[in-house]
Amino acid sequence: MSSLAEPVKRGLKKSLQLLLLLTKIIVPVSCLVAILDHYGIIGSVAGFFSPAMALFGLPGEATIALLLSFFVNFYAALGVITTMSLNSQQITILAVMIGICHELPIETVVCSYTGLRIPVSATLRLLTALAAGLILNLIYNLVQGG
Amino acid sequence: MEIVILLAETIANTLLSIGRIALLLIPVLILIEIARHYQFIEKITGKVKGLLQFLSLPQEAAVPLLAGIFFGIVLGSALIIEYAREGYLKKRDLLLIGIFLSISHSIVEDTFILAVFGANPFVLLATRTILAVIITRIAASLIDHFAIEKA
Repeated sequence: MSSLAEPVKRGLKKSLQLLLLLTKIIVPVSCLVAILDHYGIIGSVAGFFSPAMALFGLPGEATIALLLSFFVNFYAALGVITTMSLNSQQITILAVMIGICHELPIETVVCSYTGLRIPVSATLRLLTALAAGLILNLIYNLVQGG
Repeated sequence: MEIVILLAETIANTLLSIGRIALLLIPVLILIEIARHYQFIEKITGKVKGLLQFLSLPQEAAVPLLAGIFFGIVLGSALIIEYAREGYLKKRDLLLIGIFLSISHSIVEDTFILAVFGANPFVLLATRTILAVIITRIAASLIDHFAIEKA
């Protein structure tokens, strides 16, 4: 059993660190979103992007989550998701897009060590995320429509 | 005053969802560490022969690829650099691993966190994995095609 203590301790330490990081990002982001929303700014951004987001079956507000995911990280996007009311289909589609394309400023640099150039990996992930959102929305609509 | 109430509500809601994440995240990260402790990756490398063959990657690619898929892009890339330095993998193989991992990495942790927020974990996993496999396969064909033309 003593051999298990080490990985358990490491896992515990890592999860606490991650939760702290999560709190430090999600709380300010969701407060910012709540304030912007209060003054109608989210509404106008959402209105502008809602035709584009409709392609993925998402409301215009999802734009904010996607942009935060692409340029900041995964957790910032979650901060927005907590403030939105989405159905399970919408959450899944948004989650797939976020899962594929997030934290580009850092991860594309990490990935460049494999020889994958930064603009190539950023474009690849962006296009893959958009394609995944489109395809999933089509599949969901087909399954539910038929 | 209105703003203060709004902010208090937002903070309370956010902390509540972080609490929900904590309940899942702590056991998952502990399990990941235990898996790493028992060298889970080294043990399952033999089981992905078919996938590696399909992606036209050598057997040596198994450890960095699986480490990245399960434990994250940073560990995956660190192993890739290590392998590259020791000359186990060709430039082409490194690039293909990079492409695969950029789309699909740290799938356990990511999927769990997103599932806590209500996403369907199976759809999430399947979409990311299938797209990573297809795109890497296409990239392999393209790279090989142009390499042969150049030579």
